[in-house]
Amino acid sequence: MLTKFETKSNRVKGLSFHSKRPWILASLHSGVIQLWDYRMGTLIDRFDEHDGPVRGVHFHKSQPLFVSGGIEFSGVTSETSVYNLLSYDLAVDSMGIDLIVEEHTLPSYEDSKACKIRDDYKIKVWNYKLHRCLVTILVHLDYIRTVQFHHEYPWIVSASDDQTIRVWNWQSRTCISVLTGHNHYVMCASFHPKEDLVVSASLDQTVRVWDIGALRKKTVSPADDILRLSQMNSDFFGGVDAVVKYVLEGHDRGVNWASFHPTLPLIVSGADDRQVKIWRMNDTKAWEVDTLRGHMNNVSCVLFHARQDIIVSNSEDKSIRVWDATKRTGLQTFRREHDRFWILSAHPEMSLLAAGHDSGMIVFKLERERPAFCVSADSLFYVKDRFLRVYEYSTQKDTQLIPIRRPGSNSLNQGPRTVSFSPTENAVLVCSDIDGGSYEIYVIPKDSYGRGDTVQEAKRGIGGSAVFVARNRFAVLEKSTNQVLVKNLKNEIVKKSILPIATDAIFYAGTGNLLCRAEDRVVIFDLQQRIVLGDLLTSFVRYIVWSQDMESVALLSKHSIIIADKKLVHRCTLHETIRVKSGAWDDNGVFIYTTLTHIKYCLPNGDNGIIKTLEVPVYITKIYGNTIFCLDRDGKNRPIIIDSTEYVFKLSLLRKRYDQVMSMIRNSELCGQAMIAYLQQKGFPQVALYFVKDERTRFNLALESGNIEKALESAKKIDEKDHWYRLGVEALRQGNVGIVEYAYQRTKNFERLSFHYLITGNVDKLSKMMKIAEVKNDVMGQFHDALYLGDVQERVKILENAGHLPLAYITASVHGLHDIANRLAVELGDNVPSLPEGKRASLLMPPSPVLCAGDWPLLMVGKGIFEGGLDNTGRSAEEDYEEAADADWGEALDIGEVENMQNGDISMVLGEEDVHVETEEGGWDLEDLDLPPDADTPKTAPNARSSVFIAPNPGMPVRQIWVQKSSLAAEHAAAGNYDTAMRLLNRQLGIKNFSPLRPLFMDLHMGSHTYLRASPLAPVISVAVERGWSESASPNVRGPPALVFNFSQLEEKLSSGYKSTTSGKFSEALRHFVVILQTIPFIVVETRREVDEVKELIIIVKEYVLGLQMELKRKELTDNPVRQQELAAYFTHCKLQLPHRRLALLNAMSICFKAQNLSTAAHFARELLETNPTAETQAKKARQVLQAAERNMRDVTPLNYDFRNPFVICGSTYTPIYRGQRDVTCPYCSTHFVPSQQGELCMVCDLAEVGADASGLLCSPLQIR
Amino acid sequence: MAAGGPDPLFGLRNSFYLGAYQAAINNSDIPNLSADDAVERDSIVYRSYIALGSYQLVINEIDSSAATPLQAVKLLALYLSNPANKEMTISSLQEWLGDPAIGNNPILRLIAGIIFMHEQDYNEALKHTNAGGTMDLHALNVQIFLKMHRSDYAEKQLRIMQQIDEDHTLTQLANAWLNLAVGGSKIQEAYLIFQDFSEKYQMTSLILNGKAVCCMHMGTFDEAESLLLEALNKDAKDPETLANLVVCSLHLGKPSSRYLSQLTLSHPDHILVKRAKTAEESFDRAVQTNA
Repeated sequence: MLTKFETKSNRVKGLSFHSKRPWILASLHSGVIQLWDYRMGTLIDRFDEHDGPVRGVHFHKSQPLFVSGGIEFSGVTSETSVYNLLSYDLAVDSMGIDLIVEEHTLPSYEDSKACKIRDDYKIKVWNYKLHRCLVTILVHLDYIRTVQFHHEYPWIVSASDDQTIRVWNWQSRTCISVLTGHNHYVMCASFHPKEDLVVSASLDQTVRVWDIGALRKKTVSPADDILRLSQMNSDFFGGVDAVVKYVLEGHDRGVNWASFHPTLPLIVSGADDRQVKIWRMNDTKAWEVDTLRGHMNNVSCVLFHARQDIIVSNSEDKSIRVWDATKRTGLQTFRREHDRFWILSAHPEMSLLAAGHDSGMIVFKLERERPAFCVSADSLFYVKDRFLRVYEYSTQKDTQLIPIRRPGSNSLNQGPRTVSFSPTENAVLVCSDIDGGSYEIYVIPKDSYGRGDTVQEAKRGIGGSAVFVARNRFAVLEKSTNQVLVKNLKNEIVKKSILPIATDAIFYAGTGNLLCRAEDRVVIFDLQQRIVLGDLLTSFVRYIVWSQDMESVALLSKHSIIIADKKLVHRCTLHETIRVKSGAWDDNGVFIYTTLTHIKYCLPNGDNGIIKTLEVPVYITKIYGNTIFCLDRDGKNRPIIIDSTEYVFKLSLLRKRYDQVMSMIRNSELCGQAMIAYLQQKGFPQVALYFVKDERTRFNLALESGNIEKALESAKKIDEKDHWYRLGVEALRQGNVGIVEYAYQRTKNFERLSFHYLITGNVDKLSKMMKIAEVKNDVMGQFHDALYLGDVQERVKILENAGHLPLAYITASVHGLHDIANRLAVELGDNVPSLPEGKRASLLMPPSPVLCAGDWPLLMVGKGIFEGGLDNTGRSAEEDYEEAADADWGEALDIGEVENMQNGDISMVLGEEDVHVETEEGGWDLEDLDLPPDADTPKTAPNARSSVFIAPNPGMPVRQIWVQKSSLAAEHAAAGNYDTAMRLLNRQLGIKNFSPLRPLFMDLHMGSHTYLRASPLAPVISVAVERGWSESASPNVRGPPALVFNFSQLEEKLSSGYKSTTSGKFSEALRHFVVILQTIPFIVVETRREVDEVKELIIIVKEYVLGLQMELKRKELTDNPVRQQELAAYFTHCKLQLPHRRLALLNAMSICFKAQNLSTAAHFARELLETNPTAETQAKKARQVLQAAERNMRDVTPLNYDFRNPFVICGSTYTPIYRGQRDVTCPYCSTHFVPSQQGELCMVCDLAEVGADASGLLCSPLQIR
Repeated sequence: MAAGGPDPLFGLRNSFYLGAYQAAINNSDIPNLSADDAVERDSIVYRSYIALGSYQLVINEIDSSAATPLQAVKLLALYLSNPANKEMTISSLQEWLGDPAIGNNPILRLIAGIIFMHEQDYNEALKHTNAGGTMDLHALNVQIFLKMHRSDYAEKQLRIMQQIDEDHTLTQLANAWLNLAVGGSKIQEAYLIFQDFSEKYQMTSLILNGKAVCCMHMGTFDEAESLLLEALNKDAKDPETLANLVVCSLHLGKPSSRYLSQLTLSHPDHILVKRAKTAEESFDRAVQTNA
């Protein structure tokens, strides 16, 4: 039993779960109804209008209502004073309809109520939002035992000690049916969740099933009910709307509870005979199926579990029992010391149960609902039902892998708890609580995904928890000795180690390390060194989540998350009021986690916030960008798309990645007071500025960040004195004189303005101010301004006008304005003031400022990234495209000369005969091992050790094996046996000249071994590299050596050769082709088709080499136009790629045309046109030549070129060898030569001897077999 | 070394075996060492210096009063520092080995094994190392047998090591060497061993080279190249990195001559350089015989 919540209170007699919210109603024996939030563990509300025990309470499925059935005292019989009568409710609720007021006469059932009071037994319907009772119906004659809403109609069913069951319409407050038949207290009655049935249990030892199908028809409209009111009484006993369908007899004592199965036609009942009975029904009858015995006292309540195949019952024997519904055996018993159980309730949607007992209630779950899972790279491995499944995140494909052992059904909560996966070995560890903690290892067969239903024989073991610590090692916790056992995949113990702390669970902590959890701390333990790497005091940690790079770890406790690094150095702690469920790291180092109700994030600095609200709990498994992958409680994978903007934004700020911040501000709507407050609080008012639309906030932020311009903008819009004033203060602080002035102007603060002008030396403005003051009749201001200006006359005038004649006189006389002084003296008459003697007056003139007007010089401040950057909304950079100019091949060539002929057949002289490997010829035989005879005997051994030890004879090096196995020259070269390699080349291809092959020989040999430093300071090991490695290759069987040349490299070379040819770089092209020709003898291929391709390649390349050699030769012969024409003409007879042939033809055409050999030129033109040249310029040129030639069809100089007669070209003399003439060929590249070249080196391949005997190219092991 | 309390020299040893010589030297200041452990520590530190090429430092610092193991290390430094010393060192080595008082010292035997390996006298090397006694000696045995192309014997040695401590760094390494030598599907296991090291400890060029060699044997030269370049970043002069880069570049069809000349300059006696030299000679000889 997993207790989620407990309360202490008076005896709990009724319970009801809310279907959506985490609420539960508990009705108490004292009459109070409590509304609890079981997640938060808080009492939300209490309803205490009932006076006596409230037994029945029930939430409405969809409306904010609940119903309760209880009593209110309305009168007292003699001897009773059990209850406080002060709370006695006199009035019959005005809203209620007083149906029956009758003294009950039935015997009481419970001892405590032996003395009955005159009570009203009422049903109340409450609105919990308004905290008000909406409806009170006075209904029964005796205690109400249960009440329940109908799931669809506005009905309530109630069961009462008055032996009846009644169905009410709570909207019209009418009784629509009275079900009579029981002849003792009816202890419970409930609607069937789908059908028109009611089940009831009574102390008359029966369970009854009632058919209320007729009721539904009767209550089509509520208006009917009112009409029927009069009829009600006649229906009262013996109504026909509801009839007894079955009476289930079998219990020997009174039945306390009966309930339907949510989906199957089953009923379960519990009675005072201490038995639980299961009943089955069909359309016509119902019968007893089985009896569950085990309770030691009256069974008070029993029900089917909605999601599992179990029955839960509770009893006055202080226990709750769980039964297997199919096997009908007891699974588990939970006992309490002192409290008898009275009521059970199941959550309509979740796997929660609640039980009420003598001193409170408990909310609990029977089984953990968290699926066991682990994440490995792109895959999630998890257990669902009895299968191990894998879910690939990238494809969102869900596959069933293998069945795993079903937990023994003789107890609960034995399902897999954790899963650990080793990707390289494809092995899975499944841990569960079976046998007090045990594990099983399964190896997932690679090919049989999803197949097979048989459970493989898994290796098992006992242990608190088991987890992989390396690819082929796992650690098992042995709690009894506080040891950890390291085992291999065969389940053999490799190592044991005592743990440093009293550990109750172990987790993975990087290869070879364990994270051990104790009650109050976690440590990271290095298994190899047996030392503690890190230690952290924590509350009880339930789960741990490592970041991908294994640098950070999140330790999840029930109500907190601790983030630490890999050495368990504490980084931050978060506290949650709601239970923390799961979490995962995203790629940016943000920890995303779920509580029961929310998805939240936690930044590396500990800032956290809500991302999304959850309806049902989910378990995060992995995060890819904006997608959170979760497992829900049904083991379904659910991708949840979240808006990560907020936390990515905060993260960017935190990491000072202002460019990101900026682009996010530009592109997204991030607004919100919370964000602004956050930014302000974190010291980013300048950033916050860009979120705010409200001018006042904007103004404040701008001032805070010192952005005067923005503040000014806002101030203009707000235009309030206070804001101008503050702007002025800030501007003054910054020395932005213009804005200070502007602010003073706007606030009409003339004194400040005048003083400002004085300070800044702005005399013009100051005198203007004086005028303004005069106009405004502000004498004092005017005087000040005059004083500032040093304008004596004005001052005198002002004083005079103001009537301060003595002052005016003094001023005038002091400053030497004698005329005025005299005039004033006259006016003053006798009252002329006397001037102090002996003092010289001087006029105070405002000093002229150094810098008049303009702002005070400010330090250059680098503009923040946010300024400017944000103002001009992204201007995309223009990209420049340059068109690459194509070199035109044809134009660039100067050509001239013609002759005519047809392509001669070049016979391929590639030998198909088998190669004879003569044994006596192989030089390798000489390398037979020279075994040192008795290598170690002669030495006298100083120590015992060497006297018994006989050193083995050295084995055969791999390269020697290569040589023995092969007759491919390349492989001999790779093995370093150059001598034999050369002999093979000579015999197969007639190669005589090896010097061009020198680098190839070297490379082949060098590439055949890699180097491995083994023991420190000892010589390195060289390891032979083999060709064609595959996973399934068996060890110790030597493959052929890996060669550094391969066919695809040659193909690349070929295309670069073509490219150089196209662009007219002939010598470069020639180099490419020659390299190909020289590499081919060392190529080894694996298929017949490739063998043919290699042979074709020789011919292709040879033609190019020959052609290019002639072309280069031609370019040298600038002084011999005839030979030039001839060579150009021969070039066209080399078998080239079509574009190259066109170019060659064009070339030959123009050379001949220039040399006035028009007929030959015309031949080339025709040939060219026959190839349908794609370039129009080529075709045009050819047509022009043709036209010109037709007028004058003759050649000026005769050429050794007859295109009508088929020929091949001699590779050495570059002369045509016409068909029928004698020739010799190169045994390797098959170039033709005139007979005189016999025995010479082939000019084309530069390798073989012309006319030598050879067995032919051997380039694949296939050819040898 | 097998069971018992934590080994104070564990980190030091691991750094040394995995080629993090400088780290081994830097972290050698371990408090509360027993006398034996201190000698062991010193021998590792001096061997690290030798591995870094600081022969003279070792020769100077170890004086004649030092313990036998350190004397042996000094001998190795003398042997490696100057080819002229070879005969002298070998003769004094033989003398010490013949001395029953010190001849059985594991480090002396280890050094003897290493020196005779350099001499390519594997029989002589095995004579001193075959009895084993320390993981280092067993590992050296594995290596000698591999040099002799006797992977069957190497495997037997490995079994012994696995029985002593299967998770020991040297056991794992020796397993990887053997796996590489026998080839086939075992290459993958060797790769996984190096992979495990790279996850567990700091990357050294030894680990990177190990991974790269595995990659080359599995035919994934691209991956090998990037590993080797990473190793080159760590230590631009590491001879194995350069040698393997030569091999890898050849297979990728990329120019390799720069790496080769770098190697030739810095380590003229590296096996690859020697191999190249003998190859040239044998080519010339072969051309002559086939002319």
